[in-house]
Amino acid sequence: MLSYILRRAVATIPVMAFVALFVFSLLYLAPGDPAAVIAGDQASAADIEKIRASLGLDRPYLVRFGEWAWRIVQADLGTSIFTGLPVGQMIAQRLEPTVSLMVITLLLAVCIAVPLGVLAAWKHGSLLDRAVMAFAVLGFSVPVFVIGYVLAYYFALELEWLPVQGYTPISKGVWPWISHLILPSVALAGGYIALIARITRATMLEILNQDYIRTARAKGAGQWTILFLHALKNAAVPIVTVVGIGVALLIGGAVITESVFAIPGVGRLTIDAILRRDYPVIQGVVLMFSFVYVLVNLLIDLSYTLFDPRIRY
Amino acid sequence: MSIITSSREFAAAETLPDIMQPRFPRKGLVGYVLRNPTIAIGSVLLLLMIAIAIFAPYLWTKDPTALAPAMRTRSPSAAAWFGTDMLGRDVYSRVLYGARVSLTVGFGVAIAASTIGLAIGLISGFVRRFDGVIMRMMDGLMSIPSILLAIALMALTRGSVGNVILAITIVEIPRVSRLVRGVVLSLREQPYVEAAIACGTNTPLIIWRHILPNTLAPIIVQATYVCAAAMLIEAGLSFIGAGTPPSVPSWGNIMAEGRALWQVKPYIVFLPAIFLSVTVLAVNLLGDGLRDSLDPRLAKRV
Repeated sequence: MLSYILRRAVATIPVMAFVALFVFSLLYLAPGDPAAVIAGDQASAADIEKIRASLGLDRPYLVRFGEWAWRIVQADLGTSIFTGLPVGQMIAQRLEPTVSLMVITLLLAVCIAVPLGVLAAWKHGSLLDRAVMAFAVLGFSVPVFVIGYVLAYYFALELEWLPVQGYTPISKGVWPWISHLILPSVALAGGYIALIARITRATMLEILNQDYIRTARAKGAGQWTILFLHALKNAAVPIVTVVGIGVALLIGGAVITESVFAIPGVGRLTIDAILRRDYPVIQGVVLMFSFVYVLVNLLIDLSYTLFDPRIRY
Repeated sequence: MSIITSSREFAAAETLPDIMQPRFPRKGLVGYVLRNPTIAIGSVLLLLMIAIAIFAPYLWTKDPTALAPAMRTRSPSAAAWFGTDMLGRDVYSRVLYGARVSLTVGFGVAIAASTIGLAIGLISGFVRRFDGVIMRMMDGLMSIPSILLAIALMALTRGSVGNVILAITIVEIPRVSRLVRGVVLSLREQPYVEAAIACGTNTPLIIWRHILPNTLAPIIVQATYVCAAAMLIEAGLSFIGAGTPPSVPSWGNIMAEGRALWQVKPYIVFLPAIFLSVTVLAVNLLGDGLRDSLDPRLAKRV
C-alpha cells in the first residue's frame, strides 16, 4: 500500500516539473525588461546592464530556472511588479472566497449529478433519461458566465431572493456567507453536473447489466439498495475520476464566475493581474492552481484502492 | 438456446428478423434526419450560424464598430433591433459580426489542433523512444486548467484573433494527441497491421494505409468537441479581458462591455449569450450525433 502511494506520488514529479518549466518560461519570455523598469527612464545602457547582472538576469536559462525552482520549493512565489507584495501573500489573502466557492460547487455538483445519473441509467430510455441527457448537452454548451447572469437576473434582481453580487466571509455568519455563494456555485456547477451525470449514467448502464446485479435482484434486494449500494459502489472509480478531472473546469470557471459575481477571490486577482500585465502574479496563480489540480488527481488515484480492493499495484 | 426444440420457439424465431428492421426504414434525406435527429438539428443550427457569419455585411444594419454618442444605451427598437451599447454602437450588427469571430476561432482551433495533435499522436504511438517524453509533456500541459493555460499564453502576446487561436490550439493539442496515440497503440496490435509489417511494408505506408483511416472517425468527433471548447474558451477569455482585443466585436467582448450596465440593460449581455450558447450547442449536438453514428461502441460507453 505504502509503495503504491509512493509510486503514484513519484509519478507526478515529471508532470509537476514540466508545469514549473512551462510557467517559468512564461516569465522568461514575457515582453518587457525588468532591469530596464527598475533602472528607470534616465538609466544608461551600462546601468541597465549592471542591474541585470545584479539581478542575475544575464545568466543562462537553465541556471535561472534552477534558482527559481529552488525558491518555489521554499514556497517563495516572487513579488508582484504592481503592488510590490509577495505573490504568495496576495494569493493567500484571496484564497477564502475561491476555496469556499469551489468546495460548495463540488458538493452541490456531486449531490445533484450522481443521483441524476443513477436515475437516468435505471430508467434508461425514459423521458427522465432523455431530460438528463438533454440537460447534459446544455450544461456543456452554455458558458458559466451566461448561466451566472441568467440566475442573477431572475433570483437576485427580479425575485430579490438572494444578493446580486459580492462576498461575505464565513466569520460574519454562515447564512450571509452561503447566501452570496448560492448563485455563483449553481452557475459554476452547470457544466460540472453535466460531466459527472453523463459518466455516472454511462457507467451505471454498463454495471446494471452485470450478473451480480441480477443476483442481487434475485435474492430480493430492493431497487434502491441495488442502485445505490450494489451498483453505485462499483461505479465509484470512473465517477471519482471524472470528479477529479472536472476540477480543472471548476478552477477555470471560478475565475470567470468571480468576475460575474464580483467575488474578491483568486480569480479576481488573476484578472487584475492580466489587465496590469503583472507576470509574477499570473505565474503564481497558474502554478498554484496546476499543483492543486495535480494533487487532487493524485489523491483521487490513491482513493481507488478504497473503492476497489482489486487495485493494488 | 440455439437449438429449436418446440414449434412455439420456432414460430418465435421466425419473427426475429422483424426486430432487426431499422426504426426509420425510409431512404433518402428524410430517413437520415429521422435516424440521426441530433446530427440534423446540430447541422441546421450550425449552418444557420455559418450563413449569418458569411452574410453578416449584408445582414447588419450599421457598421458594427461605428460610434454614435447621441444614441447611447437605447433599448431594442425598430431603429436598433437589439438596442445600442454604452458607446452607441448597434448591438445587432455587433452580434452578427461576433458570429464571424467565434466561428473563425472555433474552426481554426479545431483544424489546427487536430492536425498537430494527429502528428504528435502518430509520432508518440509509433516512435517508442519519444513516447515517454511527449506524453509527459502532454500530461503537463493538461494539468494546467484550460482557461488558465490560455490566459498564461495570452499574457505573452498582444490580443489578436490569430493569437487567441494559437493559444487555444496549444491548450487543445494534448487532448487530440492522447486520443490518437491511444488509437495507434491499439491498432498496432491488430493482426492486419502485424501482417503488413510481416510483409515488409514500410512504416510510412502502414501509417498512411492502415492507421490513418482508422483515426479519422475519432478525430472528427474530437474536432467538434475541440471546436465547441475553443468557442467557449475564446468567449471566456474575451469576457475577462484576455482574449480578442476590445476593438473586435466578439461575443465575449460584447458581453464584457455590457457587464457594467447589465442590471439596467440586460439585453446587451443576454443577446450575444444566446447566440454563443446556440452555436456551441449546435456543434456539441453535431459531435454527439457523429459519435453515435461513426462509432457505436464509443456511443455505448459515453
